[in-house]
Amino acid sequence: MRVYLEFGRKSFQKMLQYRTANLAGMATNLFFGAVRVLIFTAFYQASTAEQPLSLHQVATYVWLSQSFLMVIRMWGRPEVSDTIRDGSVAMQLTKPVDFQFYWLADEFGKSTYFLLMRALPSLLFSIFLFRIMIPADPLTWLAFLTGILLAVVLNQSYIVAAFSSTFWTLDATGVGGFCFALQTFFSGFVVPIALWPDWLQQIASRLPFEGMINFPFSIYLGEVTGVDILVGFGKQILWIAFFVCIGRWGIRRGLTKLVLQGG
Amino acid sequence: MIPHHLRLYFHFVLARIRTQTAYRTSFLLDVASNFLITALDFSMIWLIFERFGNLADWSMWQVGFLYGIISISFGLSNMVGRGFDLFQDEIRLGTFDDKLIRPYSTFYLILVHQFDLKRLGKIGQGLIIFLMANAKLSMSWSIGKVIFLLATIVGGTCFFIGLMVVGATLCFWTVQSIEFINIFTHGGNEAGNFPISIYKDWFRRLFTFVIPLAFVNYFPTLYLLDKADPHGAPAILALISPLVGIIFLTVSSQIWRFGVSHYQSTGH
Repeated sequence: MRVYLEFGRKSFQKMLQYRTANLAGMATNLFFGAVRVLIFTAFYQASTAEQPLSLHQVATYVWLSQSFLMVIRMWGRPEVSDTIRDGSVAMQLTKPVDFQFYWLADEFGKSTYFLLMRALPSLLFSIFLFRIMIPADPLTWLAFLTGILLAVVLNQSYIVAAFSSTFWTLDATGVGGFCFALQTFFSGFVVPIALWPDWLQQIASRLPFEGMINFPFSIYLGEVTGVDILVGFGKQILWIAFFVCIGRWGIRRGLTKLVLQGG
Repeated sequence: MIPHHLRLYFHFVLARIRTQTAYRTSFLLDVASNFLITALDFSMIWLIFERFGNLADWSMWQVGFLYGIISISFGLSNMVGRGFDLFQDEIRLGTFDDKLIRPYSTFYLILVHQFDLKRLGKIGQGLIIFLMANAKLSMSWSIGKVIFLLATIVGGTCFFIGLMVVGATLCFWTVQSIEFINIFTHGGNEAGNFPISIYKDWFRRLFTFVIPLAFVNYFPTLYLLDKADPHGAPAILALISPLVGIIFLTVSSQIWRFGVSHYQSTGH
């Protein structure tokens, strides 16, 4: 365990170098948040019909998802998959550690970095500047943070499983694109799932992706309560187990096929 | 002089296309994933309209019309102007020095250096939405309007390339990280998916007068769909919009020149 903590710490430290990039990234997140909130505002103002979520809830949802985007590591492209391409993966494989957990530890270090350097400042902005909702019940906070933690692990095990295909394709761009597209849409990142047509909500609830964005933020909004929260955690955990197994299988099969690139 | 530059440009583009299509499966996957990822933008439009119905006097397909135009322009600019997007590497690695001793302008050399064929995905996706919108809105086109549309797309492409040039120029001072300009390129593209009139005043003014995004698709669409601006913008703005993009690129290229004269090599 200690060795994986160390890997995580290393990847955290590596991220610390990119301070300007982080600022630019934060500005970008905030800008996209602003655009999306303005779009929703226009639609809410133009329509008089009762909606499943209030504008304030949607705005909170948007600002939260923009703040936690990098923590959850949506569209996170693991560097490990690049090492398969250029052959330096050989160095990682000589280490006496589990390759998948090494990979996850690396991702986790980044998540921690983004939690402290991106999510917290963005959240403060959102609270003080944009007046997002703040749950009063400490239990809601506890449930929300647990949901986020599981969302991070879920997303990372998904990414590792998806990118283990790099062992076969070498270039991850294409596969990555498909996986990211699925994730972006069905996680409810684009539009909160509560606002979707019913038939599409049915589909989304049977897929792993809502546990990445929609579920934790719905806890925050108070839209998911009581037993439903526990059911949601259960779903997240089951999907994590599923992707960890797929990733393990993919990496094991991949390693037997691996031809080192470069020299 | 100009024909020579053009011939050389196509020569380079062909070479880039050959390298990018060398691994066919990988290339097709790239185009397909570019198509799919960018199609998500439209999924947002669809989901919101599905929930809320019309937005003031804009129907979903009218917004689709707007969306199609900006997507094609943005896709084209990414395809052609890729060199400026990747420019930070030239500075960081010091390879820009080579460009300075060649008998062509640096602007031209950066432009010919890259060509990103996979953006066909985005362009194709925008084109499909545009054609669907066209069919749903039962548009009647005249030759004049078609020419205007083509000019609009050229103008929009120039506008986005202009932004990329400004972003690249910043690298002369910052050496790395031009991600800041993404706020205006990608962010502008995102904001421009919807009519600019729906935004708050400060935002609308910023993207009309400072960064002329509204001229890429909003004003031209008002003209082509025969709509009026709720904020009372004069109709003439629509007709000059293709020019605005071209002027924007011209100004950007002057800023670029200024940047080059301040270039200090990072060395090899």
